[in-house]
Amino acid sequence: MSCKLCSSPTVSFLSDSGRTSIRQSFRYQVPFVISPLCTSSRLSWSGKVPKPPKRRSLGILAMAQGNGEREKWLMWLPRGPVAERVFRLIAGAMSSPVGQYVSSPVTFLHVVDSRVKLAWLLALVVLPSRSHIVMRFGLVAFLAVMSVWVLPKDVWTDQLGRVTLLSGILFLMLGFGSDSAPPLVQLRTPPPSLMGLPELPLSGYSYSILKLGPLQLTRKGLSVASTSACLSFTIFQSASLCLTTTTPEQLAYALQWFMIPLKFVGVPVAEIILTLLLSLRFISIVFDEVRNAAMAIVSRRIKWEQLTVMETLDIFIMYVRRIFANIFKHAEQITQAMIVRGFRGDSNIHKIYFFSNTSFGIADMISLLGLLGLIGASIVSEQILV
Amino acid sequence: MIKANFVGSCCHPSPRSRVICAGGDCNIKYAIQGQNLSYSVTVKKLIGVQKMVFPILKDCSLHVPVGQLWMLLGPNGCGKSTLLKILAGLLNPTSGNVIVRKPRSFVFQNPDHQVVMPTVEADVSFGLGKLNLTADEVRARVEKALKTVGMSEYLQRPVQTLSGGQKQRVAIAGALAESCKVLLLDELTTFLDETDQMGVVEAIRNCLGGPDQVSALWVTHRLEELKYADGAIYMEDGRVIMDGDVSNVAHLISRKQADYLAS
Ligand SMILES: Nc1ncnc2c1ncn2[C@@H]1O[C@H](COP(=O)(O)OP(=O)(O)OP(=O)(O)O)[C@@H](O)[C@H]1O
Ligand SMILES: [Mg+2]
Repeated sequence: MSCKLCSSPTVSFLSDSGRTSIRQSFRYQVPFVISPLCTSSRLSWSGKVPKPPKRRSLGILAMAQGNGEREKWLMWLPRGPVAERVFRLIAGAMSSPVGQYVSSPVTFLHVVDSRVKLAWLLALVVLPSRSHIVMRFGLVAFLAVMSVWVLPKDVWTDQLGRVTLLSGILFLMLGFGSDSAPPLVQLRTPPPSLMGLPELPLSGYSYSILKLGPLQLTRKGLSVASTSACLSFTIFQSASLCLTTTTPEQLAYALQWFMIPLKFVGVPVAEIILTLLLSLRFISIVFDEVRNAAMAIVSRRIKWEQLTVMETLDIFIMYVRRIFANIFKHAEQITQAMIVRGFRGDSNIHKIYFFSNTSFGIADMISLLGLLGLIGASIVSEQILV
Repeated sequence: MIKANFVGSCCHPSPRSRVICAGGDCNIKYAIQGQNLSYSVTVKKLIGVQKMVFPILKDCSLHVPVGQLWMLLGPNGCGKSTLLKILAGLLNPTSGNVIVRKPRSFVFQNPDHQVVMPTVEADVSFGLGKLNLTADEVRARVEKALKTVGMSEYLQRPVQTLSGGQKQRVAIAGALAESCKVLLLDELTTFLDETDQMGVVEAIRNCLGGPDQVSALWVTHRLEELKYADGAIYMEDGRVIMDGDVSNVAHLISRKQADYLAS
């Protein structure tokens, strides 16, 4: 049985560049059976794709109809294959893993002991939720200034841009969203006059701060929004600041130091630390693998326009399968490497050396004092500034 | 779809293993000895039940004397890496005996497979974890090894920001830091440029001999590296075709190349 789809009327559109042509089969006009043979022969990228018998350029057609001017509807057609763009996007996005250690300009933060940095990190996660709004914005400003001061320009613009965008969106959504909801879903307290109470002589206080049409910024909204936006900003920015100035080994060392007490409870600290280090290495391998597989597909110059949806899906499935296969292969090879390099499965016997300077220097003292000051200030702000 | 299944695929040296490793007490002239080594994989077809035994190494014998650098050559897929993995104890031979001095270290063909830790210095020191050294000793060894391969400034670099050749040098430094008696090196110089390549060969050469009588087996495709070798082995299709004198092997290879070009 011959496949009717291949001999169906096929039309090609001329895109702007004129090079890529989109072949489209008008399946709704062709009430025939699509044979599986057809799909399988089209599936092979190198295989011969049966040529359509008739080709008319709709671009030219449209030009002819519209007084030499291209019709509007032509502009709305998808220009260039979307699938290829997706793969290109994947390949591009994976080329710079987030929060990578930057070793070249050694700064104050590089010198500070990783344990102190970890304590700071914890404080910066806890403090914004438990302190006054002035304190929260102060922390945000402090982190931003710190990033600008410590990191190279392209790194901080990238990081701060991303984090600011995220927390900005969060702020706007929560600020206007939390109290703009219709009063039906709000707590319904009757006005004081209805309850026969005298109005409180409050001056200079208004629950609503800003009104933008149907949206309004209230005190509650401001509080919720500032808490969550500041929290997300401080968490993300302090984490990436810490990651860019601390090697994974130093972080692992600090974690190990903090986890020493857990050893006596029976927690396998050495194993956890080794696992952490291995997974940190493995993350970059996964990134590489995802990028390389995407690059491999992009560089094959597949004619996406000629593929049906199922075939495109098939390529995506193949992509995912290949990534997984490669990652498992990598895992196997790394276990082999560990065995060859003398690891015998007991992380208590196999020592991992940490080269971080364990001496406690001036910089560590200063930053610890700063941390204590910060905690004190936030407690005071909560007590006084409410 | 083909599912590969190693015969006796066991990474740990099991008690049944036929790999006999001589300790320092054995008084042997050879650092590496392989006798009638064969290795095959069982290829199982998913559809259909029949199994196929697929030989990769066929009756290979080789001897590398103590304190020497030998090169192993051969076309792609002739089984060099497999032979090296058997010598390293990663694979068990289907038949035949292996005697290799210990400790031995093995550098993979692909540096991505060798580098285990996320930062350069941590990775180079990873192999030292079993040795019970002090932190200062470890630091000294790591620095020396990285200096040998010309990577002293990269101590704190994350591994994924290195180029292929730099990763390879980190992998070599990891093997050198362990100061083993036998080095099994699989195509170390594939990712390196011309000067680096010679630098690495010379670095390996300088490690040889000494009180520990360090020996090395080096897999390569580059004929110009042959001049650093004390001996060479040529393999083809899972068999050792020739071993011994460097000039003989070089002659054989150039004759084969000439034949290939003529045909
Ligand atoms: N797991 C496996 N399953 C099936 N065949 C395998 C397996 N591993 C290796 N082979 C086959 O064994 C042969 C030898 O492989 P090996 O990696 O030792 O070659 P090589 O000499 O190192 O080649 P190259 O110069 O490319 O590194 C190849 O033909 C390969 O296809
Ligand atoms: Mg090989």
